[in-house]
Amino acid sequence: MDKPNPDNRGEFFDQFLDDYYAECDEHLVSIRRALVTLEDEVDARTVDRTLLDNLFRSFHTLKGISGMVGLSAAEQLAHHLESYLRELREGTVVLSESGFEALVAGVSLLENVINARRNDQPSPSIDEVVERLQAVSADSASVETAPAPQTSESDATATRWQVEFTPTAELAERGVNVNSVRSRLQEIGRLIHAKPVVKDAGGIAFEFVIETSAGKAVLASFEADGLTFKPAADEPAPRAKEAPPVPIIAPASVVRVDLDRLDELMRIIAELVISRTRLEEQLTDLKRSTPPALWRSLQETSLSMSRQLRDLRESVIRVRMVQIGEIFERMTFVVRDMARESGKKVIVQFSGGETEIDKFLVERMMDPLMHLVRNAVSHGLETAAEREAQGKRSEGLLSLSAATAGEKIIIKIADNGRGIDRNLVLARANARGLSQENSQLDDDALLNLLCTPGFSTRDEADRESGRGVGMDVVKKATEELGGRISLATRVAEGTTFTIELPLTLAIAEALIVSVNGQRFAVPQSAVREVLEVESSATKVLENNEIIPYRGKVLPLIRLARFFEMNHQRGDNFHVLVIGEETNAVGLAVDRILGQREIVVRAIKDPLAQSRGIAGATELGDQRVVLILDLTALRQLATTSKH
Amino acid sequence: MSDDLKMNNILVVDDSPTMRRMVITSLGSLRRIKSSQAGSGLEAIERLAIEPVDLMVLDLNMPDMHGMEVIGFVRSHQAYRNIPIVVLTTKGEESSRSEALAAGANRYLTKPFDPRQLADVVGSLLQAS
Repeated sequence: MDKPNPDNRGEFFDQFLDDYYAECDEHLVSIRRALVTLEDEVDARTVDRTLLDNLFRSFHTLKGISGMVGLSAAEQLAHHLESYLRELREGTVVLSESGFEALVAGVSLLENVINARRNDQPSPSIDEVVERLQAVSADSASVETAPAPQTSESDATATRWQVEFTPTAELAERGVNVNSVRSRLQEIGRLIHAKPVVKDAGGIAFEFVIETSAGKAVLASFEADGLTFKPAADEPAPRAKEAPPVPIIAPASVVRVDLDRLDELMRIIAELVISRTRLEEQLTDLKRSTPPALWRSLQETSLSMSRQLRDLRESVIRVRMVQIGEIFERMTFVVRDMARESGKKVIVQFSGGETEIDKFLVERMMDPLMHLVRNAVSHGLETAAEREAQGKRSEGLLSLSAATAGEKIIIKIADNGRGIDRNLVLARANARGLSQENSQLDDDALLNLLCTPGFSTRDEADRESGRGVGMDVVKKATEELGGRISLATRVAEGTTFTIELPLTLAIAEALIVSVNGQRFAVPQSAVREVLEVESSATKVLENNEIIPYRGKVLPLIRLARFFEMNHQRGDNFHVLVIGEETNAVGLAVDRILGQREIVVRAIKDPLAQSRGIAGATELGDQRVVLILDLTALRQLATTSKH
Repeated sequence: MSDDLKMNNILVVDDSPTMRRMVITSLGSLRRIKSSQAGSGLEAIERLAIEPVDLMVLDLNMPDMHGMEVIGFVRSHQAYRNIPIVVLTTKGEESSRSEALAAGANRYLTKPFDPRQLADVVGSLLQAS
């Protein structure tokens, strides 16, 4: 008997806890997003009505579902937040600084209360925050009444159209429904209202009024989906009551999926990729003993399977992607709290929040990124007084950005603070016996020292940045995910940490090369060019082998020598050009065997780990092939001579 | 298929997917029930237009179109005016009970709800209609 027993309410609703946490997370994400915008409207005479409506509804829903799962602290807290929002919405109070602070405190506490339940910990007390919320409601009520909700101004060139959509089961099947029609209309203009109407024949249709500057041709393109258009009668804009703002809502067609299930799916796809590679090898073996026509047809089937597999893989990866903006917004609140506690003034800017990243990577990178942000605020940025004394703007700037480049995602955390004092770092490292160097450190060496376990530049009791992880953990977490961290810092100008991560783990495009009969996989995203070179074209300059390349010279790394293999050199060889313009190097290999999708597996055994090797993969013949770590190779090449 | 073997389609309207699942699971003890879902008032009306609905479980505070407007629309529409409506809303606005019942809701329940009570109410309304 696996049916839950509705007589036992506690147990009955426990089965929804995972859904509950997931939905709470979604609401908290959108609440934080709304609060970031709302902060600009503190003390403003008009507050965006849609924003307030959305916040109100999120708190309302959190209250409802928290009550269902018996989490009464969250239910009560959400209730008080909702009540304050209702007052703001109805205009009985104006959003004050203390009101906003109370909202932020309430939201953080709400998150803590929910997380406490999730981790089976006792719930924090909500009394103080509830009192604050009640105080701001009562306090500011007497100050002044807020003006009517803001309505956005009309575009002079826009025309109003009345659009009618008649839903049918067939259209719904094709994904054309009231939600999709509405969002399409919102893309081309401003939606004034949406309401159902009864047709003469007794059927149901939806009437939308939009204001758009789009031409007739654009509207006509909608007609295939059963939409009809006519210029809207010049009616006065309906009041808010009949035309509620039309926020983006989660349509009933969205499902939530446990990340574990997606991991399982990814694992199966990885197995499929290996099987297909095996199939391809076997096809090659068959070529001689199979009639050409049959072989070609087998080959075509194999190729189309390869394409389908790639589509499948990309679809699954898309499902796993979330926007990194969620993390940025979370950080904004951490920064706010820290700034308030330390008396610093900090402006947070972010860009590229819409960049998508694998959910798994987000979860693993959350703490390390948070550590860098805390560091930037507590160590990097100066106090307002210090900044002014240096002629800087009193507000420190923390900018968070994300972008994709090829198969990588690049996250930057930059501050315009005091920069890292190299001499201080060096002195400390020497004092702790972590370094014997005395020369000036470059950024890479500096980062290496900062990331050495046991090193910490914590000067005073900066408790913020001491939480949980240190720089060594940040570096380790990044590298475990196949990523890389780098640093750029200048005294008095600021510090930028750059983290590069693969868009997704597990599967990558690679070139398979051979050196001395041994095969290696080279991540294709890093290879700029492949050259065929005659041995006679190489020259030796200061113990470095070089070849002419695009009017300049390219230093070569001989893989055979690097891995200390006994190498017989042939006449010709291939060079893979890796790295950026100025510091490009050439990787010399004997042959290029082909291009493959590889399943990346980390080498976890420390005895088998080796510099220059990023992991291992398996090709069709079930033999293990090592994956080269190009960045490490390049670094080694510049520090030692090959 | 004879009338007494007919499957009753329950339309569950709530903007919270978790809440919709809770409602649908609560109704699992009833026989000959199937369900469909809508996340807003407008979506609810769309479901009505494209599939037969025997009863609605309706939240009030939703984006797009408030539950009260949905009741008003359904009750003024010849083809749908007899569909029983159970309002299921979060406690707090006591005035809404009388408003919802006056507008034509058959029953008014509050969240947190008792799954057994919800199933009983839905079951008896289906039997009566």
